[in-house]
Amino acid sequence: MSDLLIQVLDVDGVAVLRPEGFINAHTVRQFEAALEALVREARFTILLDCRDLNYISSAGLGAIMGLIEPVRANGGDILLCDLQKDVHEIFDTLGFTQLYRVFATRDEALQCLKGTH
Amino acid sequence: MRAPAEPESFRLVIPSQTRYLNLVTGLAKRAAIVAGMDDATSAKVSIAVDEAVTNVIVHAYGGEAEHLVDIELRFLPQAMEIHICHTGRPIRDNEVVLPDPGEYLKFPRKGGLGLLLMSRFMDEIRFTETAGGSECLMIKRVV
Repeated sequence: MSDLLIQVLDVDGVAVLRPEGFINAHTVRQFEAALEALVREARFTILLDCRDLNYISSAGLGAIMGLIEPVRANGGDILLCDLQKDVHEIFDTLGFTQLYRVFATRDEALQCLKGTH
Repeated sequence: MRAPAEPESFRLVIPSQTRYLNLVTGLAKRAAIVAGMDDATSAKVSIAVDEAVTNVIVHAYGGEAEHLVDIELRFLPQAMEIHICHTGRPIRDNEVVLPDPGEYLKFPRKGGLGLLLMSRFMDEIRFTETAGGSECLMIKRVV
């Protein structure tokens, strides 16, 4: 089984990127490429659905960090939902929960976006 | 067979390739549980090990795949020590500069977060030079 599988969905005009497995220095290029492809397609509202993300290292956090500026400069945002406890702890430890909007569920995130999208 | 010398320990030597990261972190997580840590703490240990081994592969060895990373886990009565040794470019304690988290959030950029995670998730981190190369020692106490 691959360390990382990535599914990209369109839900009500929002690009939902769903990583499954582990994001570390080995798999980060795959994750980064998926994010970059969305930005190239001018999909600037990106929801990272982390339900099946078991683990993310600083390499993965750097990939998100590297795209937040172009995304926000184009009126979009990167949002996070459904973080597992350990993954939430990593985001929280580094202050990412202040920098990004984090939702308990995908529905909650999409509901919030309906008002702004 | 003789009983293992104190402290009990085991070693894993991997090629300097990121494809082995998952193997190492999984092992570190299980070892932390064996040492008496809970699931949340063992997850932090595994992240710190990921970051430290990644630093060796990417920075100390510059991404060259033909070197070795030597990882030794020692079980002390109240702590677990993780020794990560290599023969690449050394990182010295006085070269380690942790990013300021507040500044980082104000001026987002890639990189620099690994050492911060290591320092937040472990109780002690030391970088030293040994006779055979360099070592990153991380200690997590069992509470």
